[in-house]
Amino acid sequence: MTAATDAPVRHRSPRAGGAVTLTAARLLRIELRRSAMPWIFPVIAALFWFDSYRFGAGSPPYWVLRTFWNMGQGRTFLDFAPFVAGVAAWMGSRDGRRGTADLVAGAVWPRWAVQLAAWAAAAIWAVGAYLVFVGVMFAVYARQGLQGSPPWWWVAVGAAAVTAFSAAGFAVGAFFPSRFAAPVAAFGAFLAVIVSDQNGFGDTSGWPLILPTNANGNYQPVSGIFYPYLPDLPIARMMFLAGIAVAALGLLGLPARAGGAWLRRAAAVVTLAGVAAAGTASGLARTAWLTPHGMTIPALHDAANDRPIGYTPVCAQAAGVPVCLNPAYRRYLPEVAADLRPVLAQVAGLSGAPARVAQVAGRYTSGMFENQSDVTVTISGTPPVLRVPLDEFNTLPSATPGSTAQFDQELRLLSVHAFVGAGNGAGTTAQEAVQAALLQHAGLPFATQLQALTIFGLPSWGQEYLQGLVPASAPCCGPGTSPGGPVYAAARRFAALPAAARHAWLATHLAALRSGQLTLGQLP
Amino acid sequence: MTAAGVQSSPPGAVPARLADRPAVASLRLAWLYLVSRRIPAALGLLAGLGALLWAALHWRWNISGGLAAQQLIPLTIETGSAAVIAVTTHGPFGGPERATGRWLPWLRLAAAVALTAAAFGALAAGAAGGVLPGGTLALLRNLTGMTGTGLLSAAVLGGAFGWTGPMAYWLATESVLAAGWTTPWIWPARPPHDRGAAICAALVFAAGIAAGTLLGARDAGRRSAPD
Repeated sequence: MTAATDAPVRHRSPRAGGAVTLTAARLLRIELRRSAMPWIFPVIAALFWFDSYRFGAGSPPYWVLRTFWNMGQGRTFLDFAPFVAGVAAWMGSRDGRRGTADLVAGAVWPRWAVQLAAWAAAAIWAVGAYLVFVGVMFAVYARQGLQGSPPWWWVAVGAAAVTAFSAAGFAVGAFFPSRFAAPVAAFGAFLAVIVSDQNGFGDTSGWPLILPTNANGNYQPVSGIFYPYLPDLPIARMMFLAGIAVAALGLLGLPARAGGAWLRRAAAVVTLAGVAAAGTASGLARTAWLTPHGMTIPALHDAANDRPIGYTPVCAQAAGVPVCLNPAYRRYLPEVAADLRPVLAQVAGLSGAPARVAQVAGRYTSGMFENQSDVTVTISGTPPVLRVPLDEFNTLPSATPGSTAQFDQELRLLSVHAFVGAGNGAGTTAQEAVQAALLQHAGLPFATQLQALTIFGLPSWGQEYLQGLVPASAPCCGPGTSPGGPVYAAARRFAALPAAARHAWLATHLAALRSGQLTLGQLP
Repeated sequence: MTAAGVQSSPPGAVPARLADRPAVASLRLAWLYLVSRRIPAALGLLAGLGALLWAALHWRWNISGGLAAQQLIPLTIETGSAAVIAVTTHGPFGGPERATGRWLPWLRLAAAVALTAAAFGALAAGAAGGVLPGGTLALLRNLTGMTGTGLLSAAVLGGAFGWTGPMAYWLATESVLAAGWTTPWIWPARPPHDRGAAICAALVFAAGIAAGTLLGARDAGRRSAPD
């Protein structure tokens, strides 16, 4: 006889369900109080200040540029991940190190549930600290008056990454309970991130895009200013990281002592679901393609994110020509107007001279902006408009004193280059000579032009043009190189003419010059 | 129920007469200390890291990138060795051991120095697998300096978290290498014969050894640390 077979089936009352919740909350509270995670926050805080915050401090005052290092390339996450993985491994190995695994296996709660509570406490501390540290950094940035908008999607990816590494580290500690589990998990996490990141650094397609440290092609300087940050890749990354976290936590429930048969089956399903999510996200990343303002994943893309951010331009006058910029670039308006004034003054009244200067969004077609070497200033439209993609300029001034010099040179150089009609090449020798003469009178002497042509990030025609301005016999192009050669001689002759004579000659010959029909010998 | 066996010594116990001999007692004390700090396992890990370095250099494992990337794998292995040494300072006995262990500071000193020497030996042997950037002189400097950061962090945060010092230092180094800074306090960024870098690394190692010897790891002493 057994009483069990005769006893009526008892259903859990609502109060019992509430008691379970209360017990779980108590367990979590105990784990939160006992968690070792807060002990490493001082170390992370020091590293975060030195590495994540300080290294980006010299960038121009735009959210997308100032946060490129710490969010786009994932340094905030890298500053957290190894420590979180290591300490989570220490927490995960607790029962094994203390030899209490058998003891807790006989407790009221299944071992898996107890382990999940310990992990949840570690993850709550870690993600909470991550959000607080990033929040403080963003608050400092906001006080500095950064323009554009913060990269919130990347913050969410970082939080997901911290969660994933806490789960993976916890699993390492649970399966290999030893004092050495923590450093092994920490260094494993570091190596996994840094090696995959470095090897996938130059890729703009395929699996490397899933890495939260890969900024290639999806953190463009137009993001948050001209276009919204595209969330496609961040969503795939969060899916991937969540999948890793779920799979790692599911693995904890697979051993026999983790719980009953149904619980282990549930753990197996959870593990498979996590692997499936990570695999699906990785597959989605492979379908990503680069658009001018970021990475697009067709299955995740929302066309609303392609709409440009509307704005009312801010304008100033330069030699009677309106110069208009995006309000986010307001601080550069006086500098841009002052740079263009001597250029526009020389060409004022000529047919085809710019009637307006407008800032346009840069176009990014080959990955990260550091590698972008095709800054394109153009003149087009009726009346003609000088279109300047300021975001493409590597020389955009920062708070560093003296950082405006190269920007001034580059802006004048590219504007005059567009005016003579040289397009995407160095132009004809006549165009080169006229360009050099106009720059000479725009405050860029011949010798300085040689330096300006070595600015990092100039279009490829820069080198060709540079070689045209030095004698063929001279080594090109060290610090002591002097200008020379036939182009230089013609440029000097043209520059020596009175301003009115140059203007009159340009009025007559500008169309022929732009079409490339003039030779060097036809210059006055 | 019987009391038989209660009086018998546990298996492996040293007979009283033998244990009374000072040399044997010292050896036994040292061995117990080594076992309590999991130093045999640490030696195994150090040997494994040496083998890893050998494999990395022999098969020229490399990752793309500049100076920081080229040194990444060897420096990570050196940092890992320092972390292993730092974690061995974690003691399971806390206050009672401190109260009764007259030789404890000497044991800590000897263990830290011997493990550093063993790590250097293992990594130097591993370096024979190929061309180590900076050579064995840089290896010695980097390893000792990073071990110093580990011992210092063990004294502050606890032996179980001794690895955080070398890890934090390595992350900072990686950024500094990428940025091209050359402060002597980031010694891996300096040439192997750089005197300033060697002095800084030696100072940090000396500070770590002093803290590890006199104070011990946080969890092995007066103050509690998370477990």
